Amino acid sequence: MICYLCLKPIKEDTTWSNFLNPQHRTICDHCDDKLEQITQPFCQKCMKPTADQKCSDCIRWEQHFGQDPLERNVSIYTYNEYMKDLIARFKYRGDYELINAWKKNVRETFKEHFKNQDLSIVPIPLGDDRYSIRQFNQAEAIAILLTEPIHHILTRQDGQKQSKKSRRERVFSNNPFQITQPSPKSILLIDDIYTTGTTIRQAASLLKERGAEHVQSLTLIRS
Amino acid sequence: MKTTPPLIEDLARRFSTKLLLKHELNLSEHRFQYLITHQHIERVPGISSALNFHQCNRCLNKNQMLFGKIPQRNSKSIIYCKKCIQMGRVSTKEPLYRWTGPMPMRHNVANPLKWRGILTPLQEKASQKMVESVNNRSKLLIYAVCGAGKTEMLYAGIQEAIKQNKRVCIATPRADVVRELAPRLRRDFPTIHSAALYGGSTERDLNNHLVIATTHQLLRYENSFDVMVVDEVDAFPYHRDKTLPKAVARASKSDSTQIHLTATPRRSHKLQIATKQIPTVSIPSRYHGHPIPTPTFQAILRLNDSLEKDKTPTKITRWINEKRTNNRRFLLFAPTIQLAESLAEKLDMPYVHAESPYREYLIKQFRARNFESLITTTILERGVTFPSIDVAVIQADHHVFDEAALIQIAGRAGRSANDPTGDVTFFYEYKTNAMIQARNYTILKNKEAKRCTV
Repeated sequence: MICYLCLKPIKEDTTWSNFLNPQHRTICDHCDDKLEQITQPFCQKCMKPTADQKCSDCIRWEQHFGQDPLERNVSIYTYNEYMKDLIARFKYRGDYELINAWKKNVRETFKEHFKNQDLSIVPIPLGDDRYSIRQFNQAEAIAILLTEPIHHILTRQDGQKQSKKSRRERVFSNNPFQITQPSPKSILLIDDIYTTGTTIRQAASLLKERGAEHVQSLTLIRS
Repeated sequence: MKTTPPLIEDLARRFSTKLLLKHELNLSEHRFQYLITHQHIERVPGISSALNFHQCNRCLNKNQMLFGKIPQRNSKSIIYCKKCIQMGRVSTKEPLYRWTGPMPMRHNVANPLKWRGILTPLQEKASQKMVESVNNRSKLLIYAVCGAGKTEMLYAGIQEAIKQNKRVCIATPRADVVRELAPRLRRDFPTIHSAALYGGSTERDLNNHLVIATTHQLLRYENSFDVMVVDEVDAFPYHRDKTLPKAVARASKSDSTQIHLTATPRRSHKLQIATKQIPTVSIPSRYHGHPIPTPTFQAILRLNDSLEKDKTPTKITRWINEKRTNNRRFLLFAPTIQLAESLAEKLDMPYVHAESPYREYLIKQFRARNFESLITTTILERGVTFPSIDVAVIQADHHVFDEAALIQIAGRAGRSANDPTGDVTFFYEYKTNAMIQARNYTILKNKEAKRCTV
């Protein structure tokens, strides 16, 4: 057994509990320590670290839309330096199997917040050009971890990379998504990083136009 | 004779004798297709698989645990190599490209060496041996103590090779060493084209005369070099990683000269020396002729305990204060990053380790004498030279300090001819074999050196 992050063997003491109930560890303690989970206090709506009930971003979104298409976002990790390196390795170098390191926490978070809500899981799609370079969609990779049926009802026209745009450009850029069929009622959007929340809301507003009533999101990182 | 068009010549210089990914070629789709249809480049599968057993054709990794799978919705999963992914992904869908077009030309330099120093008789001997082995395309092991002046011994051999229009590579496991060697070689060989390659360097090798690279960078080469010099063959990760020596062999031409340099040969090399399987020159003395400083042992009762309790034993503080009052600059070696960090805090000194973000900057500042002392982990144990410093090892009995590490650390002191003596002190709680062997090594080498000069 090796750690998916540092690729070194995971040393584990054999105890009665893990002998009788073997669980495959995917990450070593050393690497696990470097990942930082989001802790209180944070915005109850988007999990941005803040002392207020609702952060200024979310208030602005509500002013912008009247009624915000996104009900709630849940994220797991903070975007610290270590995570930035990992995301670079995951997305830009294409080390797909890094998702295994986050598997346990993604599943636990899903159980904690979204269990028994009868949600349809929709990963944020990737444009064709970028898909052909990367050979996988990072949002779909995270969605697969949930072992629930996945609905591929969105498509995307490639635009400029989000990370190369300013906040203003991001917020007011045109909706890059298209929808292929009417939307189910309750949606859980999946993506890797929630930064300004624009991408998620563009997808959410399109889904709402086509019949969705509740849209929530689960993202790996809140930056 | 048909001449190659300038564009093709240009591309040949960039791509020949390398194995590159498509994005590393950095070509427009149009040019890429042109090169493929005219058979100037050919595809090499990135991963070879037989019966579900994979091998990466770039880093030669065969460890099945280090292959990843990317599931595909409509086709077979993609297999990729995780070991070398930092250099860009190699997979069953992402092949490597090999230049098969006309070979590039390299202009000849008649007298590249501009260094006018004088070698000691021992250095001269090694230097001659290297020239011989460049001419005979043979192997040579140079077994020279720290501070013997290894780089200068290579000069005549490099000059000879470049005169014959051969391509030379100096490979070393450590990026710090590349960064230190490259400016020296450029100063002494100012008229040749050279490239310094390490993770994060921006230089490009355009079929240059001389390439100074980390051993990892050689994963991108095949059949490229006529003379391959591997410095510090015993250093991590080269001696631990089975694939790096293979990669070095692949980067060299089949009839190449192989020169290995070491101050602290590992068992396999020692065996080859003893059984005369590899021609060896031994240089037991330093270029300035003064003996290597012998380590002093300082036992401290309950050292490990007090360090754990965040106390610095008085023997150590006394040593530091003594250096400070005498205006001596010094390096403190710590076995772990945590200890380096806590010592740095208590003693109010800067510290470096492999992952510290200011590593290059701190080393530069220390070299420029902008601070008097530096705490370091084993990353500064070898290859880097600071003119006149003293050295102390905290917890010399820790398992990271093996014989080779301790010899290398002791070798940091007394490097300059103006100040050939230096103090090397090992602070420890339990004496280890590695410490005794390291001390015996310096005593033995100093005796050998005396015999050579008489």
